[in-house]
Amino acid sequence: MKPRMKAWFGALAIAGTALTAQPALADVKLEFVVWNYSIDTIQDNIKKFEAENPGITVNLTDYTWPDYQDSLLLRFRGGTQTDVVYGGQDWLPAWAAAGYLAPLEDIAPAETLDALKKDIAGFALSDMTYKGKLYGLPYYADTISFLYNKKILEEKGIPVPTTWDEVMAASEKLKADGMERPIVYEYNQELPNFFDAFVAQTYSRGGDLFDADKKAIFDNPENAAYQQLQWLADAFAKGLVQPETHESKIIPAMNTGKHAFTIVYNYVLAAMNTPGEQALAGQFALAPMPGSAQSTLGFTKFYAVTAKTAADAERAEAAWKFVNFMAGKPYKVAERWAAEKGLGFGQMPLFQNKDVIDAWQKWVDVPTLEKQVASARAGTWTEWTVIWSAYFRPLLAKAMVGEASVAETMKAGAERWNMMQARFAK
Amino acid sequence: MLRTLAGRLGTFAGAMLILLFTGGPVLMSLTGSLVPDRVLFDENKGLLDEGIRFDNYRYIFTGELPDSYQQAGANRAMISQTARQVPFALVNSVQISFSAALLALLLATPAAYMYARVAFRGKKLTFMFLILSPLVPTVALVTPIYMTIEAMGLLGSKLGIIFVHAVKAIPFVVLIISVFFRKLPVELFEAAQLDGCTRMQTFLRIALPVALPSVAATGLFAFMLSYAEFMFSMVLSGDSGSRPISVVMAALARNTDVSWGLLNASIFIAIVPTLILVAMVWRFVVEGMLRGAIKG
Amino acid sequence: MSTIERFPAAWVLPTLIPVALFTIYPVAEALWTSLHQVMVLMPDQPFVGLENYKTVIFGDYFADALRNSLLFVLFCAPLVVIIGTAVALFLRRPFFGAGIVRSVVLLPWVLPGAISAVLWVWVFHPSFGVLNGLLKSLGLIERSIPWLIDVNLVFVSIVAAHVWTQVPFAVVLVMAALSATNEEAIEAAKIDGANALQRFRFITFPQIKAMIVVLLIYNALTAFTAYDLVYAMTGGGPGTATTLLAFQIWRESFSMYDFGAGSAVAFIVVAISALLILAISKAMPSDLFEEA
Repeated sequence: MKPRMKAWFGALAIAGTALTAQPALADVKLEFVVWNYSIDTIQDNIKKFEAENPGITVNLTDYTWPDYQDSLLLRFRGGTQTDVVYGGQDWLPAWAAAGYLAPLEDIAPAETLDALKKDIAGFALSDMTYKGKLYGLPYYADTISFLYNKKILEEKGIPVPTTWDEVMAASEKLKADGMERPIVYEYNQELPNFFDAFVAQTYSRGGDLFDADKKAIFDNPENAAYQQLQWLADAFAKGLVQPETHESKIIPAMNTGKHAFTIVYNYVLAAMNTPGEQALAGQFALAPMPGSAQSTLGFTKFYAVTAKTAADAERAEAAWKFVNFMAGKPYKVAERWAAEKGLGFGQMPLFQNKDVIDAWQKWVDVPTLEKQVASARAGTWTEWTVIWSAYFRPLLAKAMVGEASVAETMKAGAERWNMMQARFAK
Repeated sequence: MLRTLAGRLGTFAGAMLILLFTGGPVLMSLTGSLVPDRVLFDENKGLLDEGIRFDNYRYIFTGELPDSYQQAGANRAMISQTARQVPFALVNSVQISFSAALLALLLATPAAYMYARVAFRGKKLTFMFLILSPLVPTVALVTPIYMTIEAMGLLGSKLGIIFVHAVKAIPFVVLIISVFFRKLPVELFEAAQLDGCTRMQTFLRIALPVALPSVAATGLFAFMLSYAEFMFSMVLSGDSGSRPISVVMAALARNTDVSWGLLNASIFIAIVPTLILVAMVWRFVVEGMLRGAIKG
Repeated sequence: MSTIERFPAAWVLPTLIPVALFTIYPVAEALWTSLHQVMVLMPDQPFVGLENYKTVIFGDYFADALRNSLLFVLFCAPLVVIIGTAVALFLRRPFFGAGIVRSVVLLPWVLPGAISAVLWVWVFHPSFGVLNGLLKSLGLIERSIPWLIDVNLVFVSIVAAHVWTQVPFAVVLVMAALSATNEEAIEAAKIDGANALQRFRFITFPQIKAMIVVLLIYNALTAFTAYDLVYAMTGGGPGTATTLLAFQIWRESFSMYDFGAGSAVAFIVVAISALLILAISKAMPSDLFEEA
């Protein structure tokens, strides 16, 4: 915005605010921005925080998940007062590098942070760290998992697949027996979920898209990602896969009993297994991600504080109190998300929490899940990963349905990655 | 005789086809709100095997959880409280859309009259500017308009959304109403001139009353343009105090924590009052126009 | 009315000023952005000339997205206008229950786009779609038709959904335009033995032509810049079968943090939209842009 315009509108703004009541000076009103998942639960948590912390009020603003990142970028670029936000592992490096977010070290006592860090799962800690500094505390942490319909496999006498070849064989057998499309696959160019799931499958094969220097290595036909894309393209070509644009539709689709496998976030399993609501609730189970490593992608969504807020001592103090209430000890809020909504957590002591485990046992085999979480790896998140992934997702989509060759797609993707890496190195 | 019977059958078939095409998906939605998900998606069950239920509606209005969630130990992953914002968002939407439509009509109708009936300097240029202004895609305007509204101090208020929606509607309102004003017979205006009416009097007493149904139809269009708009509504609203229905519905449609039944109950609650309102205005418009047609 | 008057500011400025306020500055800002390197992660914003435009036009997706968008316009705009006109003509005559049908026709209009998408996904869904279920129970098909999966059928699906959302508006405007037509001429033509098609073509159509042109232009623009409904239904896929140009503005700007390239796509969209308007008003000359 040009300065003159700004001044002009500024005058209008002053005239506008003069008419509205001014809050008492001693009070801090934090602007908390989230994507709208279970707003009432968040509001309720805020109420508890406000009761414990007189003088601090929290104003909640929420956007839909697909529009969240864009809306937040608008707020940052537009200079809208924003104190605490939901952050994500994939966005962190870019947001931190752009100077939008501040490390918690700037606003929180070091010993408190150290004590909290000890409890956080490895991949989660990595997800929230940029250039050696911690930028958040977990709202939730979860893995992408391989889900299957127990009843269908049992009836057909198919063992739970442990490799991608076995998934293919099982799907072909199911198709031959009359199931039109055994695999439901979440696919949407617009959403990062689609790329995350692909990384998870690469990890399950024991490979990675990048080497230790963060160079792209997936254009090599021996690479696990290359092989997995080939696998996906084959599965599509054989008519085994039903693409699905959003996880909200995977829930009813799996509950029609017309599909046996899917790869999604764990909380989708909790939703699919809701008794009374879903037709086939109880039939869905989590299996270790197929492949030699049986590893998967872990990811973390977290509470982060903006740089603008960290620079204002009074706001910074209030913001830290709020973040510590939402994600710090005794982990009451994380416990609530886990028990009530089936969200995963980054605070490992919650695996010993009886309330959480009791609630989870209703929709998942907890030991299997715990093992999957323990073997989960963090993604390679750099300043340019989000941008590159937005570029790469449509290419991936084309290769999956056979519009482009796997070799060309991987070559184009790797070239773009290496080019961006070189550019950001400057 | 045979001819009129065939004609009647044709009318009936045509009416049914229109009803099915425009109303079918909404009928699905009504069904979905009343039949439990577990029955709806189960091909082996008849739709009404387990009867119908109203507990999704009850939840939205009273907050009492649907029955399936009251079972001991039921996971609450599929019950979104966003659904409970629907009634309030509907009120917001009506306020915003009505104000935006009114504002657009107030500002644009006199201009439309000028463009339709009077030759003046700069007419072609300014008319082209109006017609071409909506060409710029919304997404390209989001950032600058967000910053303008922010600088005006109207972020998070209904007023900001009303402004943007009214301005978005104005070019179309001018275009459409000017088409109607052009159609008015010249004699009407010559008579007014002979009676010594000023231009404003001619506009207010002659042109406007005759074109009123058309103006109302255009107002309806402006209302709906605002009612359905999502992008600006979302980035400019922020919280439930000013959030219109399009944003709440998008949140419901895109979240995993909404059961199909709850989503459909929300859809239905959102549709009915609006449809009644719109149908009432439309009825007035149609009647006015049919009367006008008979007179003409 | 042959005299040319001076500019009637009091009548016209209340319209022009708000539109200018929300158009000129944003458009100027967007134009400036399209000529500079504006990336979130780069503090400098150097002038790059037409570099952004070059990047976009020679990008991997541009040809596909442009083709899809033009096809989408080509199918949607005429279909909306034809169906809308047919329904309006039908609804003009009195019949038992006409009031109800006239109201139900407006239903698609009162649904926000995100909801229309949900309902149409439900119609076409390969696992729980109502359409496949209906066809199966009528014994017309045995296997599900892959509406949203097949690259050609997916286009049919999104066109059907988009047309559905736009028809009510067309009906409303055509009905309004029809009410201003001269009934006597039609009666006279009837007596002269003209059939329904002839009566429409030679008498009704010329009288509502201006409105039809307005509708065609409006719908061409709407279809060319629409993507919400389509993306909620297909996510741009399968593959890139339903990737639309307008969505690329959003992708470039916000997903790829490149506001320069995003604005460049926007101006390419503006240029093509202007060409579409020009083509329509040339193909169907009307008095719309004439001096009164």
